[in-house]
Amino acid sequence: MKSIFFHLMPYPELPPDFPEQHRSVWVDIDPKLYDPTVGHETYNTYLDQLEFAAECGFDAVGINEHHSNGYGLMPSPNIIAAALSRNCPDTNIVVLGDSVALYNPPLRVAEEIAMLDGITGGRMIAGFPVGSPMDTIYAYGQNPATLRERYHEGVDLIRQAWTSDEVFSFNGNYNKLRYVNVWPRPVQQPHPPIWIPGGGSVDTWDWCAAEDLVYCYLSYFGYKAGLRTMQGFWKKVQELGKETNPFQGGFAQFIAVADTEAEAWDLYREPAEYFFNTCLHVYAGYADPPGYKTPNTVRAGVEGMVERAAREATARREANAADAAKAGSAKPSYGSKKLSFEDMVEKGYIILGDPTQVTEQVHELATTMNVGHLMVFSHFGNMDPELVKMNTEMYATKVMPEVAGLFEDDYEDHWWPKTDHQLEPVGSRAR
Amino acid sequence: MSTGTPLAGHFAPGTLPFRDGHVGIVELGEGPTVGYLHGMLGNPGVHAVLEELAAVGHRVVAPSLPGFTGSSEPDGLRNLHDWVVATSEVVDVAGLAGAPLVASSVGAMLALELAAVRPEAFGPMVLVAPFGLWDDSDPVADPFGTTLSVQRAMLTEDTEASAAFFDDPTDLPADMVVEHGVHRYLTRTAAAQLIWPLPEWGLAERLHRVTNPVTLVHGAKDRIIPASYLERWAEALPNVASTHLLDDAGHQADFDQPAQVAQIATAALA
Repeated sequence: MKSIFFHLMPYPELPPDFPEQHRSVWVDIDPKLYDPTVGHETYNTYLDQLEFAAECGFDAVGINEHHSNGYGLMPSPNIIAAALSRNCPDTNIVVLGDSVALYNPPLRVAEEIAMLDGITGGRMIAGFPVGSPMDTIYAYGQNPATLRERYHEGVDLIRQAWTSDEVFSFNGNYNKLRYVNVWPRPVQQPHPPIWIPGGGSVDTWDWCAAEDLVYCYLSYFGYKAGLRTMQGFWKKVQELGKETNPFQGGFAQFIAVADTEAEAWDLYREPAEYFFNTCLHVYAGYADPPGYKTPNTVRAGVEGMVERAAREATARREANAADAAKAGSAKPSYGSKKLSFEDMVEKGYIILGDPTQVTEQVHELATTMNVGHLMVFSHFGNMDPELVKMNTEMYATKVMPEVAGLFEDDYEDHWWPKTDHQLEPVGSRAR
Repeated sequence: MSTGTPLAGHFAPGTLPFRDGHVGIVELGEGPTVGYLHGMLGNPGVHAVLEELAAVGHRVVAPSLPGFTGSSEPDGLRNLHDWVVATSEVVDVAGLAGAPLVASSVGAMLALELAAVRPEAFGPMVLVAPFGLWDDSDPVADPFGTTLSVQRAMLTEDTEASAAFFDDPTDLPADMVVEHGVHRYLTRTAAAQLIWPLPEWGLAERLHRVTNPVTLVHGAKDRIIPASYLERWAEALPNVASTHLLDDAGHQADFDQPAQVAQIATAALA
């Protein structure tokens, strides 16, 4: 099993009363809360953490794309990948990913990933999300009724651009290109592995299964809650008579490891509460724009990951309002009841414990969900950099070796950069 | 895509063939024909403004636009031009070409767009709170960046007035409840496609082509399009017959005050 150190890059200094004073961490977060000086330090600290994870031996480092978001400071993941590409010469980079429909034309994604693949010598994995409603519909003004069609057309364009050895014309409904000619070409041929991050759309399962693409469920709610989604994907793979190769699956999980369980409870409480109670303070009105879901998903009653986050925040807020009304207090604020750290751990949002306990749970996650690619959140919330370092190093040295062999003997990972095709670092990267 | 079984429930008493699928249709009353092009709430069956129009002596023909209540999922509608062409086809299959028209909200916007390229499509028009103009100093509100309950409160002043769209009959079979939910979702999707992210597609530059007499109606408590837009429309349209600001009405004044709208329409279309 591959472990990917994954970073969301949250803004670390949202005020303690943020949930009470503000409606949402996403879309209409108050611009005045952003301090460029904090941003400068944060970006460099987070890049250090990604580079450290690479040094520790993670199979890859991973990043993603968000817009107008207090818990995701990467509107352009390719810029972060570029910053990493020179300092992490031996590590694969998972961009999970570029929200294809937001690029005009999406050819830009094909070009930038090809550039990155050239710099890294063939160590890129390209992720193509539809993108969350907050990012695509609200922050970037895409029309929800046409977003998915635009997305699929964009992915089709990128794949054709990478694989065609002729200059060609692309006559799409949303992209009209007389000359398509990606120059440079990716090192990996025909193209870097393609992973599709999903949030629970039935049609995305079907598409990934049919097209032999990796389906990654980037949940914030742990493996216990994510099981149904992954089972939906594997069921579709089976229906098509295909091999349920665990390397065609990916999952994201918060990990909190320390020498002892008691120490872990003590160390990780604050950053976990910051993430789940402040970073996920998302207004429910941004979670479900009409048209974002396909009719099949609506009919199946499947709830997206961010939709769930917003719904739970709203439910807690309404409970808080009810309590306030019962107590006869004045009009309640935006704030909601806090999710307790104990609940986060009990429900599996966070895998916590000593190395043995964490190993057992990661093993259980991987085998019950049948996933061969684990996106590890060793950093979350406003975690202190020293604690990030410890968490990262302990996972890499004490957990990862115990789970690295999972699935490797029985399945081939067709969706990972082939080491025999990679180019040796050159120039200053070789040093 | 154009699939889907016509609903037997209250959303679509009838259907008309449309391209590879169908559009919903509600028709009632006897007398001179008047068309009705619905707003964001679609045509949730035989609703009050249709009954009021029929009661004052009209034969009301109310087709659902593609994707809205009772219509199949639309295919090939990607931009405003596609929608205007589709609206033109719907007008023809419903037999409404040249007829007087009452239109609301997104339907009123499409009626104006169609009239700008096909002036003979309609006779006199009564338009309730059309989308299509935008003023930075008094912007149109976003009805989609919000929860469903808030959206409902934005659409009509009295939330009970939109019950035909939002609330299923208690005896509706479970499978129909699911399908109604899907149709509500598709209806909201189609509306979003027409007015997202901003409901301004250059219509003001085409309005000089709309020579039909237009009667304008606007809810004073419209929480989506400010009431001030009544005056903006009156200034922008070349042939305005009269304007009416209804006190106790929200965005879909045709749902909040169906009798009043029917009376205004009867006078305007006489």
